[in-house]
Amino acid sequence: MKKGRRPIGKILMAFIIAFFYLPIIYMIVFSFNDGRSLTSFTGFSLRWYKRMLESRTMMEALYTTFSVALIATLVSTAAGTISAIGLSKSNKVLRNIMEQVDNLPMMNPEIVTAIGFMLLFITFRVDKGYLTMLLAHIAFCIPYVILSVMPKIRSLDPNIADAAMDLGATPWQAMTKVIIPQIAPGIVAGALIAFTMSVDDFIISYFATGGGVKNLSMVVYTMSKRVNPSINAASTLMVVIITFVLVLVNIIPVVAAKRKTSDEIKKRKVFVPVAAVVAAAAVLVLCLRAGGGSKERPFEGQTLHIYTWGEYTGENIIGDFEEATGAKVILETFDSNEQMYIKVANGESFDILVPSDYMIQRLIMEGYLQKLDASKISGLDNLTASVKNLPYDPGNEYSVPYFWGTVGIVYDTTKVDIADLEREGFNIFLDEKYRGDIYLYDSERDSFMMALKALGYSMNTEDESELQEAYDWLVKCVQTMEPEIVTDEIIDNMAQGRKALGLIYSGDATYVMSENEDMGFYLPQTGTNIWSDAMVIPANAKNPALAHAFINYACDYEGAYDNSSYVGYTSANEEVMEVLSGEGGEFEGIDAYIPRTDNDMDEVFEYNEKTRKTISNLWSRVKIAASNAD
Amino acid sequence: MKKFSQLAIPYIIWAVIMLVLPMALIAFYSITQPGNSIFSFSVTLEHYVTFFTDPDFLKILWRSLWIAVKTTIICLLLGYPAAYFISRCEEGLQSKLILCITIPMWINMLVRTYAWIGLLTEGGLLQRIVSLFMPGEKELLYTEGAVLLGMVYNFLPFMILQINTSLCKMDGALLEAGSDLGANPMQTFARVTLPLSLPGVVNGITLVFLPAVSSFFIPKLLGGGQYFLIGNMIENQFITVGEWNFGSAVSMIMAFIMMLLMAVVRKLENRNQGGQEEKNL
Repeated sequence: MKKGRRPIGKILMAFIIAFFYLPIIYMIVFSFNDGRSLTSFTGFSLRWYKRMLESRTMMEALYTTFSVALIATLVSTAAGTISAIGLSKSNKVLRNIMEQVDNLPMMNPEIVTAIGFMLLFITFRVDKGYLTMLLAHIAFCIPYVILSVMPKIRSLDPNIADAAMDLGATPWQAMTKVIIPQIAPGIVAGALIAFTMSVDDFIISYFATGGGVKNLSMVVYTMSKRVNPSINAASTLMVVIITFVLVLVNIIPVVAAKRKTSDEIKKRKVFVPVAAVVAAAAVLVLCLRAGGGSKERPFEGQTLHIYTWGEYTGENIIGDFEEATGAKVILETFDSNEQMYIKVANGESFDILVPSDYMIQRLIMEGYLQKLDASKISGLDNLTASVKNLPYDPGNEYSVPYFWGTVGIVYDTTKVDIADLEREGFNIFLDEKYRGDIYLYDSERDSFMMALKALGYSMNTEDESELQEAYDWLVKCVQTMEPEIVTDEIIDNMAQGRKALGLIYSGDATYVMSENEDMGFYLPQTGTNIWSDAMVIPANAKNPALAHAFINYACDYEGAYDNSSYVGYTSANEEVMEVLSGEGGEFEGIDAYIPRTDNDMDEVFEYNEKTRKTISNLWSRVKIAASNAD
Repeated sequence: MKKFSQLAIPYIIWAVIMLVLPMALIAFYSITQPGNSIFSFSVTLEHYVTFFTDPDFLKILWRSLWIAVKTTIICLLLGYPAAYFISRCEEGLQSKLILCITIPMWINMLVRTYAWIGLLTEGGLLQRIVSLFMPGEKELLYTEGAVLLGMVYNFLPFMILQINTSLCKMDGALLEAGSDLGANPMQTFARVTLPLSLPGVVNGITLVFLPAVSSFFIPKLLGGGQYFLIGNMIENQFITVGEWNFGSAVSMIMAFIMMLLMAVVRKLENRNQGGQEEKNL
């Protein structure tokens, strides 16, 4: 209208567009970064794209994302259109009720819908996986299709179908030749909404899926704790695909309009975008599917389902094991023993778990594990004595150790006075000198261990008043010290020297110290937790034979070396531990790599159902107190 | 005709299983004890009592609502002028601007939120710019400000698009009529444009407020582990703590509050619409 005016509007618009695109551009730029950093650009490289293409997790996630979106869109568009036509001819009461029902997934907070699906699948014992994700997506897409088709049907002459049938059309003909062409724009809009919703979905997929099936959002969510530029690469790929499709959708009708007579476009305009989206998605799905190939080997075609900690396997071990056995490994990861326990207790089936000591004890007590077949286990002799025959599983009947270590304090030697650490031990986390400069680790067990040890108690105490004291200690810490409560984020952040102090697993400290030589690792004299994580086979494992094969593979020098050198955690394999910490080894001179074994105050966690509940609830309260502190 | 109505039957069965039953299950879990099954259970209101008698839980609920209100207000303050500006542009530019706003929405929300981490983290572009102006401010990431930013970023497009739709639907003749009758531009805006765009504003508020209250990955990614909103609390109950019954109760409380708020907003809108029509008469 009025040109050259409204400068404020223009500035605002420019600001908003910059705001929308800044992070996207930043992400694209850093996907080409040579270094791992997300903050300084060190040179152009395609290595993260290569890493992404090689990463099975990512390629499978892309495949899952697009194949689910494609099927969900097709099914929900067809079902939604047919149902909308049906509903429009139904009686009014039914129509109103169904309108309310359709509103459920749209008006409810998404997390509530998601939890509903999760409870539904668990209650009716449907194995959570690809199928449940698809069902959930179809379920939340149909209402959107109906919503966008309904108004078109309402504006249709109600007698038009009758007229067609009076003229001799069958009901099928009346629908396909008369009704559907009239409401096509609504159908197309519905399909586009369904596709977007499905590709974009995180919350519902997160709760309604299991069995290692992940879409891209879920991968981003689980990987976001460590700096991982392949996420940027995968995201950039998504941006390119989506922009391409969108531009296509917007340009094709324009181009077509120039060529065809106006009468014809009306029809084409509608179908072209849909065809374009469907074709693009289908091609992508096929491309991603074509990635896999296979040869003949002992466990050919079988599947091994491993559930372990995030970033807990070597770079090559999975690929090498698959190569050697012909089996396919599905790797699912957890953040905490507790998170793992919930899935196992819910009856989800895995072939191998890698829980910690006290959790293994619990799983044995509650009957979730099967005894290992000693005749099939060969690697036990290679393991160091400190991790064998521990009280949680005497004689290693159920478990074969994987990694072990301690929990200590990682500190910046340039900011922290070692005298403070020696004097205060874990109480340094209450020293106001370091306020706002500390990380706590989001683990109920280890946080309480820290507090109990700081107070001079046993970390296995059953005394309610001691636990209460530890709780008060932690609350005081979160209320006065402004800590950040993190999990794996601590690794990259301490490697960058972002804070002075943090509670950390010795294996993570090893990585931090190998990246940044200013960092030190301190174990308080008042004692700490000597932990070990071990491989176990659940009672409901589907392929115990293959699981035994993997346990042996991971115990052997090659596998154990790959795991330990890549992850930085101390190997249970004695030789690997010596080589890596010895002269010329990867972790030479890093004291965090060799766990302390000469302090009588150090303990191993024991499982106790009563204190578990207390600690779990109290830790949840500590976090809430931390959240409410600022 | 009857034949067509039968087409709805499969969907009705499907909807009962996939949409109604899940909600019924949440309601069921929220009033039973752990270990109960669908066949033998005892009803309890304990989980609701726990929630409402605990000041910490209430504080989290309050904070979730408050940050959603702030998000909604900021989105409205930025979104309305932007939508208004777009609706006043010529048609070609208008559709290009709309496309500009739509494209980011097509990109995965989590991916877009993740992208902010690099900008906000220490040494990141935005953090360095901010610390130039405010030397004391070291931390941007893992603050409430970061969470608020993430929410505005994710939900602002909904607001703009909704308001823009209702502004574009408006009959231009009404504006001319307004000025012909002697109203100055400010008056025309206040008396004609604003009331007529209200349905868009209400839709926009709904689409921003609703996901903002229940969001849990934005606070987790940008707020850090010590920043809890009600969505995080629910996630925590289901994924880590394993107290499904209590988690279900919290979900029911949230769903109920949302429904209540939405009902209030719709009521206000209807009353306003009603008043408008009277005036128009």
